Amino acid sequence: MRLEPNQFWSLSQWLFREGSLLYGAALLFTMAALGFFVCYVVAMVRQGPSEGFFSIAKVIYDLFRTDLPKTSVFRIWAIAKLAFLEAIRRKVLAVIAIFIIGILFAGWFLDKSAEDPAKLYISFVLTATNYLILLLGLFLSSFSLPADIKNRTIYTIVTKPVRPTEIVLGRIVGFALIGSVILAVLGVLSYTFVVRGLKHSHEVATISSDGKVGVTDRSGAHSHNFRLNQDGKGVTDNVKGHQHTVTAVEVNGETKYDVGPPTGDLSARVPLYGSLKYTDRSGVEGAGLNVGYMSEYRKFIAGGSLSSAIWQFENIKAADFPDGLQIEMNIEAFRTYKGDIVTPVRGSLILRSPDETVESERRSFLVKESVDRKTIPLTLSGFKLNQPATLELFKDLVVDGRLQVIIRCEDSQQYLGMAAGDLSLLAGEKTFAWNFFKGYVSIWLQMVIVICFGVMYSTFLSGPVAMVATMSSLILGFFGGNIDTFFNSQYNGGGPVEAIVRILTQKGTMIDLDMGNQALEKTIQTIDYGLMSGVSTLKSAVPNFGQLGTSDFIAYGVDLFDGLLARHMLIALGYFLMTTIIGYFFIKTREMAA
Amino acid sequence: MTSEVPVSKANAPVGTVPSNDSPSGPAIPVGSDVVIETRGLSKIYRDFWGRKKVHALKSLDIEVRKGEIFGLLGPNGSGKSTTIKLVLGLLFPTSGRAFVFGKEATEVTKNERIGYLPEESYLYKFLNAEETLDFYGRLFDMPASVRRERTEQLIQMVGLQRARRRQLKEYSKGMTRRIGLAQALINEPDLLVLDEPTTGLDPIGSREMKDLILKLRDQGKTILMCSHQLADVEDVCDRIAILHQGELKELGRVDSLLKVQDVTEIHASGLSDAAKDEIRGVIAKHGGNLLQLDNPTTTMEDLFLDIVRESEARPGRRSGS
Repeated sequence: MRLEPNQFWSLSQWLFREGSLLYGAALLFTMAALGFFVCYVVAMVRQGPSEGFFSIAKVIYDLFRTDLPKTSVFRIWAIAKLAFLEAIRRKVLAVIAIFIIGILFAGWFLDKSAEDPAKLYISFVLTATNYLILLLGLFLSSFSLPADIKNRTIYTIVTKPVRPTEIVLGRIVGFALIGSVILAVLGVLSYTFVVRGLKHSHEVATISSDGKVGVTDRSGAHSHNFRLNQDGKGVTDNVKGHQHTVTAVEVNGETKYDVGPPTGDLSARVPLYGSLKYTDRSGVEGAGLNVGYMSEYRKFIAGGSLSSAIWQFENIKAADFPDGLQIEMNIEAFRTYKGDIVTPVRGSLILRSPDETVESERRSFLVKESVDRKTIPLTLSGFKLNQPATLELFKDLVVDGRLQVIIRCEDSQQYLGMAAGDLSLLAGEKTFAWNFFKGYVSIWLQMVIVICFGVMYSTFLSGPVAMVATMSSLILGFFGGNIDTFFNSQYNGGGPVEAIVRILTQKGTMIDLDMGNQALEKTIQTIDYGLMSGVSTLKSAVPNFGQLGTSDFIAYGVDLFDGLLARHMLIALGYFLMTTIIGYFFIKTREMAA
Repeated sequence: MTSEVPVSKANAPVGTVPSNDSPSGPAIPVGSDVVIETRGLSKIYRDFWGRKKVHALKSLDIEVRKGEIFGLLGPNGSGKSTTIKLVLGLLFPTSGRAFVFGKEATEVTKNERIGYLPEESYLYKFLNAEETLDFYGRLFDMPASVRRERTEQLIQMVGLQRARRRQLKEYSKGMTRRIGLAQALINEPDLLVLDEPTTGLDPIGSREMKDLILKLRDQGKTILMCSHQLADVEDVCDRIAILHQGELKELGRVDSLLKVQDVTEIHASGLSDAAKDEIRGVIAKHGGNLLQLDNPTTTMEDLFLDIVRESEARPGRRSGS
């Protein structure tokens, strides 16, 4: 699971990040200007320059003067209820049957012998639900209004005192409602499917003569080793992401072993993330090394030097770590020589107080190159002002809830790679059911966005076209990130105009433009900059579903941050407002009988 | 009943706009008895590229007064439906304006006092009669108790008691018309706009519909209807406008339009032959030509067809001008 640092920002950090308000204002202005321009061109063609201007001004005036203030919740509800009833009577609930059939078959094909079956099961149900519900939202929202216009049932609506805002909002609310009902049912089904699918039990197969060490039988394509303590209780080892408790029970003088249900496979760990900085070989703060990968996600530190990765954590509370500091890390190794390829690369971990006066002893570890957990005890040996001392974790190292965690690479000429999201502290656990619910809230938000777009497009396009338009917006949203890369000049060859010039003059993307006329080059680049800024700003107008997906959190057993969910809610609200306003304009200016 | 008889022939514009007409506001003063007014109302249908396809309505000026039944008459494609849609705000005029209750036709609030029965009842087929009336009642922000009461009344009135829980998709054409009418009356409108109210009804249903229209008029409601069922128009309308190819051809009271102007009809009883001779003498003395003692009226159908023929022979001119 990859986490970009911005994903664990809190809501306020995200909302008030550098330049965000300016960007928001720019986006709002660009959208408004573009919207006005397009409307004006259309109106001008129809009614002439001045009449066109006045008719647009009137629509805007009406929106704020009458249509918005006089929008009635009561009528929105009436239309929403109608949309709901329509969906039900058109047998939309059949989707639930499709889903049930889907998971029945999936039960056969999902591989229980996989490394982490819980992840597989959860990913499956979340993905299936997500696609099914988005598809449903797409069809419901894009076909309904055009059907009303085609059947002319809209005549009986718009000749009642119904405002355009109510027509748009009523539909969005109605479809969101039916979607919510279906999503809730799918959620309960999915949850049951996951819990039941992962449920299995073991018997003890063999046990040592002293009755302390044993092996369970195979069930669900795996078995566990276990060890019992003095009072006959124990826990098995962690296989396929879960453990069982084992208890020895005396029954009629005979010892029986009771293996409990699986635990730990359905979890919602609450990770605490920190900010990451790197130091170079001489220990001076730097940007981290690039070992030649295209992806800039992880930066590397060099082995056998002062090069290190330093995480700075905040808000660490002693109450969250009663049994020591649980650290989860996923560090990548990059080897410049093979040597002994069986032995992993070695790293070391040091805890340091934020003022850098107290630090723990170096703890060496072998880099697993997959998720690895370490527990740091509450009392540990280390150095206070360079003098050896015994340290209390929450007294000496954690100051005001802040702590530094340092990773170094021990083997010279080898490298370790990490991103900010690769090391976290496990600050307790929340219930899986709650996390699962949050995952469904996330799907719900995506559904609402799809419905908003579908309804918006259906105010001016026919059903099938509205559906294609909505789908295109979603697909565009997936590639929104590419536009950013393009805009930040990470691709060679410049913007659209420059690219055309290069094609016509047969110049590769790697050589200078060099047209023998500096002013011309400058002009081309300025036009490109203008075009690209516009595109880059407008790309926010289509939702980035890649970013809105949160199924990884649930599948990997990580508590979905409330800040992230709140952020997605705000994003959905933004799209809701935007599509409502655009939909209003189209309904208001549309001749329903034309 | 309307107070006066603005029979209009020839060039005099009908529904003359008062002189204090300002382009920004409606010409009808508040409280006036003019319910609908159109001024130079025109509609040109264009294709996607803005090219002119049909000139559906050419500069229509009419006034509909409070409490009258006003009929729009014309062959298919004459602009009747276009006029109604413009008045309802379902279409936007290409030029000219339409006012309803003194408000611009595109204004939403005017709808609070309007009931509209579309040509075919364009209702939601998946709802039953009760749900339909309840839904449209909600659109008027009516409280639940009022909605229930009105729903009950209207279902009784249009005689759908036995089909109240059936989905509209199972309804016959006549039943669909009835529920359509009930829907139009849910808000007790002051103005009722009926698009072909009797189509699809059998003679009895048709008669009932006409009686209902007259009853509603007697309750003080204004009714604008369009039809090509000439008999219906003749039976119920107080005034009519005849449209052909988007132009107003005739407008006036039905009774006076049907009167053959240059023929005098005298109905008298108990006249002796001498008296009749005397009348003949009087007619001869005044240069008259006695045709028959019981002078006929023409039928609506004749009038209508005459006007259409006239219009085709001399396009662009008002008949009789």
